[in-house]
Amino acid sequence: MTSNDTLMSARPRRVSYEEVRARIGEPEDMIRAKVHDRIDRHGHRFIAHSPFVAMATSDAHGLPDCSPRGDYPGFVKVLDERTLAIPDRPGNKLADSFRNLAENDGIGLMFVIPGMREVMRVNGHAYPTDEPDVLARMRTEGKDAQLAIVVEVVEAFFHCGRALIRSRLWDPASQALAAELPSAGEVAVDQMGLDVDPAVLENMLETAYRQLY
Amino acid sequence: MQTTVLDRVEPVADGTVSLVLRGADGPLAPWEPGAHVDLALPNWLTRQYSLCGDPADRGSYRVAVRHDRLSRGGSEYIHLFLRTGRTMEVSLPRNNFPLLPAPEYLFVAGGIGITPMVSMLAAAVESGAVATLVYVGRSLVTMPFAGELRAAYGDRVRVYATEEHGRPDFAALAAALNPQALVYCCGPMSMLDAAEAVFPAQRLHIERFQPTVRQFAPNQPFEVHCVRSGKTVPVAAEESMLDALNHAGCRVSSGCREGVCGSCEITVVDGEPEHRDDIGAPPGRMYCCVSRALSGRLVVDL
Ligand code: FES
Repeated sequence: MTSNDTLMSARPRRVSYEEVRARIGEPEDMIRAKVHDRIDRHGHRFIAHSPFVAMATSDAHGLPDCSPRGDYPGFVKVLDERTLAIPDRPGNKLADSFRNLAENDGIGLMFVIPGMREVMRVNGHAYPTDEPDVLARMRTEGKDAQLAIVVEVVEAFFHCGRALIRSRLWDPASQALAAELPSAGEVAVDQMGLDVDPAVLENMLETAYRQLY
Repeated sequence: MQTTVLDRVEPVADGTVSLVLRGADGPLAPWEPGAHVDLALPNWLTRQYSLCGDPADRGSYRVAVRHDRLSRGGSEYIHLFLRTGRTMEVSLPRNNFPLLPAPEYLFVAGGIGITPMVSMLAAAVESGAVATLVYVGRSLVTMPFAGELRAAYGDRVRVYATEEHGRPDFAALAAALNPQALVYCCGPMSMLDAAEAVFPAQRLHIERFQPTVRQFAPNQPFEVHCVRSGKTVPVAAEESMLDALNHAGCRVSSGCREGVCGSCEITVVDGEPEHRDDIGAPPGRMYCCVSRALSGRLVVDL
């Protein structure tokens, strides 16, 4: 199998931060002024309509990890203007995030709303909780969340829509991209060198997906 | 589903708003006192609310919603984000709490549990029966419709603000009860438990917002045969019958998914259901969001 490695003779050149600043400049004051230290009502409304958040944590050595969380819109609760809570659902593979948070409580969140070009970013410190009042707010289909991640907000801001516009993320025509990829079952069979019919893995995955809570 | 437009959101007590939903395509489906509807919210959640307007008004429905401190996203959404003028899908009314004929009624409401009672009390008084409403809340300002009900029905309405006057004596109410009277109770779990402890079970009707906490034998897998479509659907131990049916393409609608609202009612043709709901399924029916099977196979009318 060919890979990109064969096309590249050496590692790409590294540019110093001074050089970067010289080329793209300092962040503009206007953009900096948009950063809040709390969730205002616009932020609350945004989070209440967001069914998806990308959550970044990192370990003690600074190795980052970014993982997706999703549920019905508003599944991340705004407990007050400085505090959020993110539910842990079975099969979310939150273990990595929990391990990271135990070593390094920094967290970065990016909330997305389908159809919306702007995203909302929240950075802060986080820890796990089993507070019954918090878990009760996350009960879905009669089942409580097992744990939640409490986020103490340090900064919150809206991020402009250029990336989503350029990416044509919400353009229905973009969905055709998915058809160009092999199925998750085919990828797994290839990556793990398994001798099974990819359809069998696909089926197992579909069955697992049926039980979401 | 019926399409409505949210006409008004107005406070009716501290922490409670009322919503007026106007039918978008002419008159709305009729309803009887005690009925509730499912409201589909923009955040994909569906919530059940008792209708508290006038059944004679076919142009609109009215519901009242208290902002629950532990909101999972229903009442909080309605209080903070719902915008008037927006289109909202509302189910056909369903009634798990119908007013049965009786010479005398005792209505016991706790907090937002007043909502179904508004039209029930009106209908009871209209029928010429003796009717009393015992309405319990933390303090007067948190109790929707208290003033209006007092003004309309005078001494028939007894309001207890527990912060000032403590709770009504349920045992005394039960002792004084006319043996022919029916008791309707809607309110928090603690109140329903207290009512169940003192009033005779065959005279007491209860409306729940939350499922009771009970223990069931571990889930067993079973299969459902749908007579109309001819499909046989396996239900695994860890999934609900409702989910299994929907995944198999046998559409069943749902609301609470906790066995309290009645939206997922289906007809059982054969086999023995294991009822786990809080509504009390009529013979030959079951609520498939929570209920399962005692027999290994159920035959249903789907
Ligand atoms: S969905 Fe409400 S009783 Fe089943």
